[in-house]
Amino acid sequence: MAPYDEWNRVDDEEDDELQDTSFFESKKDVILFAIDCSISMLELHEDPKYEDVKTCHLFTALEAAMEISKRKVIVGPNDAVGIMLFNTTRKNDSGGQGADIKQNNFVYQPITTIDAPKVSELMKLLDDAREDPSSLRTTFPPLVGHRVPMGDVFTSCNWIMRDGAPKTASKRVFLITDVDDPNAGPGKERLMTSARTTLIDLTQAGIMVEPFFISTEDKPFDQTKFYSSVLLPNNVNDDEGDPSVLLESISITRIDDLLAQMKFREVPKRALFSIPLELASEFVIGVKGYGLVTEQKKGTYRYFVDVGHKMELAGSRTTYVDNIEEDEAMNDSIVYGMALGETLGAEEADDERDMSGTTRAVSAFSRVFFTQDEQKSFRTLGLEPRIKLLGFKDKTELSFEDNVKHSYFIYPDEMARILIRSYNLGLHVTNRLSQAYSGSKRTFSALIKSMAKKEKIGIALALMRRNSAPVFCALVPQEEKAEEGGWNEPAGIHIIPLPFADDIRAAPVQEGLRASDDLRDSALKWIDKLTVKNGSYPPDSYPNPALAYHNEQLEASAFRTDFNPEDFEDVTLPNTAAMHKRAGSLMKEWLSALRQDETANIVDLPDRGKKRKAVNSAQTEGEVRSFYEQGTLAKEFCRGHSLAVSGKKADLLDRVQEYLAAN
Amino acid sequence: MAERAGYTVTMFLIDVSASMGETRDVELPDAPNGDKRTIEMTNLEWSLQYVKLKIQEMIYNGRKTDQCGVILFGSEETENMIHDRDGGYDHVKEFIPICHPNAGTLAKLSTLKASTQTGDPVDAIIVGIETQDTYLAKKKTWTRKMVVLTDAQNPIETEDWEATAKKMSDLGIMLIVVGIDFDDENIEFEQEDKPHMKRINEQFFHEFASKLESAVVGNCEYVLDEVSRPDAKQVKSALMGHELRMGDPVNHPDEGIVLQVKASKCTALARPKSWKKFAKVQKKDKDGDATTLTQVDDNGVEKVLFSELNRRTEYYLDKDDDEEDAPKPAPADKDDDMDVDVDTQKDVDPDKINRLDKEDLIRGFKYGASFVPCPDGSFARLPTKKGIDICGFFPAKNFKREQAIGEVQYIWADPNSPANQVALSSIVKALCNRKRMAIARWVSKDGMDPKMGVLHPIEFDNVDCLLWVQMPFADDVRKYSFASLDNLISKNGEKITKHPYIPTNAQQDAMDNFVEAMDLMEAGEKDDDGNRLSWFDTRLSYNPAIHRTKQAQFHGAVVQDLNTHPLPPPHWELLKYFNPPRRTLKRAHSAIEDCKQSFNVKQVPKRVTRARKDGHVHTNDDDEMLLLDQLPKPTIKSSQPARSQTAFSQRTSLSPTSNKKQPAKKLDDDSETESEGEAEAMLLDETPAVATTKRAPPSDVDMLMTPARSVSPTPPEQEVDPGRVPGRIVGLTNPLVDFRRNLDAGDIVTKAVEDMGWAITEIINRPFSRRRTKEMIECLKAMRYTSKNEDEVDAWNNFLEDLRHTCVEEEPGNKDFWSQVQKVGREISLISHDETKLKAGKPQGVPESRAVDFIQS
Repeated sequence: MAPYDEWNRVDDEEDDELQDTSFFESKKDVILFAIDCSISMLELHEDPKYEDVKTCHLFTALEAAMEISKRKVIVGPNDAVGIMLFNTTRKNDSGGQGADIKQNNFVYQPITTIDAPKVSELMKLLDDAREDPSSLRTTFPPLVGHRVPMGDVFTSCNWIMRDGAPKTASKRVFLITDVDDPNAGPGKERLMTSARTTLIDLTQAGIMVEPFFISTEDKPFDQTKFYSSVLLPNNVNDDEGDPSVLLESISITRIDDLLAQMKFREVPKRALFSIPLELASEFVIGVKGYGLVTEQKKGTYRYFVDVGHKMELAGSRTTYVDNIEEDEAMNDSIVYGMALGETLGAEEADDERDMSGTTRAVSAFSRVFFTQDEQKSFRTLGLEPRIKLLGFKDKTELSFEDNVKHSYFIYPDEMARILIRSYNLGLHVTNRLSQAYSGSKRTFSALIKSMAKKEKIGIALALMRRNSAPVFCALVPQEEKAEEGGWNEPAGIHIIPLPFADDIRAAPVQEGLRASDDLRDSALKWIDKLTVKNGSYPPDSYPNPALAYHNEQLEASAFRTDFNPEDFEDVTLPNTAAMHKRAGSLMKEWLSALRQDETANIVDLPDRGKKRKAVNSAQTEGEVRSFYEQGTLAKEFCRGHSLAVSGKKADLLDRVQEYLAAN
Repeated sequence: MAERAGYTVTMFLIDVSASMGETRDVELPDAPNGDKRTIEMTNLEWSLQYVKLKIQEMIYNGRKTDQCGVILFGSEETENMIHDRDGGYDHVKEFIPICHPNAGTLAKLSTLKASTQTGDPVDAIIVGIETQDTYLAKKKTWTRKMVVLTDAQNPIETEDWEATAKKMSDLGIMLIVVGIDFDDENIEFEQEDKPHMKRINEQFFHEFASKLESAVVGNCEYVLDEVSRPDAKQVKSALMGHELRMGDPVNHPDEGIVLQVKASKCTALARPKSWKKFAKVQKKDKDGDATTLTQVDDNGVEKVLFSELNRRTEYYLDKDDDEEDAPKPAPADKDDDMDVDVDTQKDVDPDKINRLDKEDLIRGFKYGASFVPCPDGSFARLPTKKGIDICGFFPAKNFKREQAIGEVQYIWADPNSPANQVALSSIVKALCNRKRMAIARWVSKDGMDPKMGVLHPIEFDNVDCLLWVQMPFADDVRKYSFASLDNLISKNGEKITKHPYIPTNAQQDAMDNFVEAMDLMEAGEKDDDGNRLSWFDTRLSYNPAIHRTKQAQFHGAVVQDLNTHPLPPPHWELLKYFNPPRRTLKRAHSAIEDCKQSFNVKQVPKRVTRARKDGHVHTNDDDEMLLLDQLPKPTIKSSQPARSQTAFSQRTSLSPTSNKKQPAKKLDDDSETESEGEAEAMLLDETPAVATTKRAPPSDVDMLMTPARSVSPTPPEQEVDPGRVPGRIVGLTNPLVDFRRNLDAGDIVTKAVEDMGWAITEIINRPFSRRRTKEMIECLKAMRYTSKNEDEVDAWNNFLEDLRHTCVEEEPGNKDFWSQVQKVGREISLISHDETKLKAGKPQGVPESRAVDFIQS
């Protein structure tokens, strides 16, 4: 984990990766949970998880809101949430965010940065409701007889967002309801129109609505009754002008799926770049790029200062100072050059010996340093951001080892706002050239199909962002595929950055002893037993244990509860018990075959010349232990077990002892 | 490759005889205007570039054991160890003793001038051998190199040279002769009118070199080109010890498997060497006035001192504690500015900051708005045990290549242990045999955070190993949803098969041909058997950023003035994969043309010039800002709060007040969330579906394509060339025509009205707008008529109030235009109840009296 200082560096030219993330994390995400409080939401039913416990949809919805808050706060400590309930008769307190919203809409928690006390409050509410399932009904008395017009709900959401969310944030409303026809009865047409209109207003204010419709066997949710005419296509599936209608995935058939569905939408969809994809000269379409796999790191620590009654976050600022006067250099006076190298005192015949290495004397009228713009152009080679196709190759040409970093995912964009900028510094004028490429989708779609059909990948040169460096990459098509669990593998192209010659390391080991076919077959047996036949690497099964360990401590500390390391379960650990049960005997057979293998017992390694006793560390620990007890082999043991071999014999023995004690 | 990095002494023997002072014209990169440029320099200056670049390389690599010394021949003075001892060896001077070079070394070389003497290269070679050998007396294993720089114009004493050559061979010295205007086959160079003496001397050097184990003679021009050729440093990574485990060897000692393995990097991301920041050293006097620090060198030339800059981080308490929420005035042009190049540094108002001592700060984490102290900067770490644990196996065909997230590592069996080698080999062979891969958990050191990844078997010619790559944790995968490209479903739930988003069969055929034609599998060079290889090889693809940056850094360090010695263009080797191979392009020409025709991708470029927000703020966005501004600025006009109320009160149609928010949002919201882009797309989509369908009964396609509402992608203050600003359906050139056409075509009225209002405001705010007054009045009339009849009463009324405000109260305003509007009178004023009450529903608009008053005031 990088300390904060490093994090906050202003260096703009060196680490584009750094900027990738800082660019996003500086952005707040705001979620307003708008939860229906109708009688149906409060209707008690058996808890599916616990026996003899009653629960209701509202409870589940609030619980999901709490869980999402807890998850979000860890990823984005500046993110904000709020909770609004509708169809309740509870009155808003005067003065707050909800003071003047529409009737029968109640602001339970106004939009604020997620905060431990707020989450605790919600937890307490939920705890009380566990004790007494009817308490939610008393806390939020449902509106009986009629329902709030959905238009009012959207308007209220708009106002709450307006009052509570920073302008630059990404803003979303999670709408949770089980009522498929909220405004039935006379005037429905009018109310539908008004709902649609107010929803449009929301969208225009930059607020997305993500609906979660609860559907049960007894009470199926029929979207055509009301919502399909109200929701905008892009509300449902947030993509540009998306012509498809409501997707199944937002209709939650089991209330337990609510949280899972919310987790999918936990992070707002953000594009990393929006650039042209040049298939050939003058054959260009627009694409947006996303990072679908990005390492989620622990939060970085910050510096705080005690200002008496509370702790305040300390801001930081990085400046550059010269070596001689220790004065701050103004940004516009900074120029770029090569490190001057270190001074070797004695041999240095230079007069300004004390200064060489840190200063360079330049005649007044000449120039030896580069400007920032020049320096940047050396990285980009003067290219503009774009992905330029170079041609196609067989799919098999992309080898396993041609990898250096995570991939990106591109998806066509009919209206990429691709801006080409040039500065006119003196006049503070920015010239922009914005380009739209209509027809991008059909072209992209055809491209994916052709590549997939012919089993090809693309090779391209890409400059993904203005301050990054060009890379060669493989374009791997992905055709769309529906998977279980409501998650569709979307159509698109994965961009896999390829290593440069500079990134490729030579193999340091050129030869080794090989196994016989018999030994191979023996290994095959236990490998077969431990193979998941239709499996693959399952990311979903492996939550990052170190991150969870950190976050649980953070959470415990925030809620002033205890963190018990004993309770922590690391699910990434291999299930060795099952492995031994399935394949233990086969592994044992393989081990004994290995022990009897002729090649394995060679003691004279061909290229060493010197005879030495081979450490057969594939042997069982028990045998080595006996060697150890004989007082020999300390050094070999250390070497064989990847322990340091430096030091005196006593040190070695200590190390061996430590190792054996620990294992 | 066998060479050990570092542990090298290179002797540079430089000819400074009078003849080296002859000048030549050297080509420079073309001037910005495309003119050819040349610079005149002496042969000495020119050839010294080679030495300097070589020395710069040593500085760059920073190895202390990479050393060099410089000896001159043909110098005025004589000063060398053999002369001191035995005499002779005249005009040979030890110029820079052997050391690890630094910038001072380069500076010193720059002072060299041709002398009035002549010198003998063989003398210099002998002095060089002796100097190097003395220095390396106790460092027998070091590599010895020698570089001779000469024009070979002066007599060489060739007697007994074989003995010298033998001595060099014995010592294993590698020789490079860099000859000025030497004939060289590599660049097909042959000097015309070569002097006889030079011809003989060149022959001598070739003969001399042929007697050595390792020697080359090269033309200076060729060598200078080669020196800028990218060269990937071959790095063999260190082998790191590890345990590869299967099962639980502790509790099941007879079944659990532990192999001793070594991991080494297979790929490692290399980055361009960082630049150092420099600035002129400023000396501050007592009054705080700064003067640039200068010094005068030996020749009396005044020089400015540039100092390397160091980073310093200051901490402060921002009294304005509303850190992120504070409305920032600036980011108007940042909306999709990926390069946040202005950097993350906040502009801090010096009056507002309290500097803090780092010692007073407490480390901790933010938990939302709460502070969680953590003095160590890290909580207790997950206890882990070093090693690679295999968790299971799966068929390799199911591997998701795109999920690999890091560098690749080799995993070798311990090279000293036959048993481990055989054991690993059997596993690798088994995995290859069944086409399987393994899932594994990697802990690099006890207590380090685990990583998950996969192991891929690989059988090399003489050794088997595994390759590791990290895979994402659940936390690392983003499951964004994307609209289906194929399954377009109408509102009625029917699948749509014909749509501008779906390629037709003809288009698909064109793309198939394109993919075929652009195939690279046989587009590369021919191999020894005459078969074409595939084009593009990662092993030959140099990172252009690294090598170009290095070239620039070297150049800047070596030349005296970038103005007279601009950076040469990048080496061609860096750019060889920047364009598809010409053969392929030629072959694909017709396929490409077909695709262009068939797909008809329309490009809509608009050149837009906009003033920065810090210039002046246009009148209309002031208003627009307010609606979204939760903290209205004190300068609001009294009518505003009322209006923001109406904006959100019930409406049955889209009021322009809400539309007004768009530009404001645009300015403020620079988030890259999806919401923005898509609305634009809908709007600007130029598919015929939108343009031709009638408004009344929407067909399926129409419903799908309905642009609904749009967020304008361009801020309102933009000026455009003819035509429309993206996102606006009414242009500035001919607004009335656009407006009517849009109404006829059935576009949403609200949008047309809104954009008409925008266009009018925009036009009357421009210089020389008077000549369009009449046209604008016509526009107003049309807009009002539509507003009244199409339920856009509020839109009109709000617009008109804004317009008056803009004309009368803002600067520069357009009072003249407003008075023209007033002349039209009541019929162009606000729409009143009386005018709307005939229609069904609640009457809209303002009281009649207000409408009358408004236009007169």
